[in-house]
Amino acid sequence: MRALVIDDSRAMRRIVSGALEGFGYETRQAAHGQEALDLLHDGWMPELCTIDWNMPVMDGLQFVSAVRANPAWRALTLMMVTSESEQSQIVRALAAGAHEYVIKPFTADALRDKLALLGLLPEEALL
Amino acid sequence: MTLAPGATERRAGAGPRPLIPALIDAATVEAIAGEAWIALVGEDELLVPVPGELPADTLSAWVDVVGPWTGSVVLTTGRQTAADLTRALLGRTAPELLDHEDVADAYGEIANVVGGNVKAALPGPSQLSLPAVGVAPAVRNPDDVCRVEVLWRGQPLVVSVQGALPPLPHPLSPHENPHPNGASL
Repeated sequence: MRALVIDDSRAMRRIVSGALEGFGYETRQAAHGQEALDLLHDGWMPELCTIDWNMPVMDGLQFVSAVRANPAWRALTLMMVTSESEQSQIVRALAAGAHEYVIKPFTADALRDKLALLGLLPEEALL
Repeated sequence: MTLAPGATERRAGAGPRPLIPALIDAATVEAIAGEAWIALVGEDELLVPVPGELPADTLSAWVDVVGPWTGSVVLTTGRQTAADLTRALLGRTAPELLDHEDVADAYGEIANVVGGNVKAALPGPSQLSLPAVGVAPAVRNPDDVCRVEVLWRGQPLVVSVQGALPPLPHPLSPHENPHPNGASL
């Protein structure tokens, strides 16, 4: 399985990518929504995107809306991974088309549980 | 102007502005920071609620909150401790030699996580800025501050939730430092 980790913090991209690779994912990274969209337009299609909310250039909510506006990307699973934890923000992200919402700080176990709920935990991680 | 703790301040043309001691207490800020440390820095990395004297050479990381309460959530510690935090956060992926950008990025992300969770404990809706790293923004009103002093690995660290007067611009542009005495990196 492939995952695209979108976060303006290089440290957080490393942490999220490390956890996903530990579950068996192949990952790529983007520093903001526009960079992520460029990767998708170039044809690199992951099963999962993890998305920070507050980023320069294009924020996470704009990215979710852009992905959901393209029927060709309907199969993409979108998971917000963000420190924005107000209930109204969570509702906005889910209404825009995100499937799941993980609040920072999170543990690898919490991420694993969310992926299992989505049916996106690679077989090797289930062993 | 000095107001009693928990009081509000009224400005011309605006409603009463709540001060931070009426909205959040030090125990809550300490719990938020402690949870962030355990999740980001490491399971055994505890913040000990003991005050310590900051060294002369400090580095701050902060995010701004703009909403019913407007201000900054600021972490301040020694530069070496900020570098140690970066190594702990990055773990095995830490480069052999840390550069300034590594420290600004990791330290800023810790401030972002602590600030985001402080924001969630305050009345909303509010907006959160991107993190900035540099010289801490000035305390504008001593009565609009919730300050927590802790030790991490024996080194002092301060978490300050401090109001901004006048209100910060809204919305904040990315990486813009709204503080006249602060420095974004």
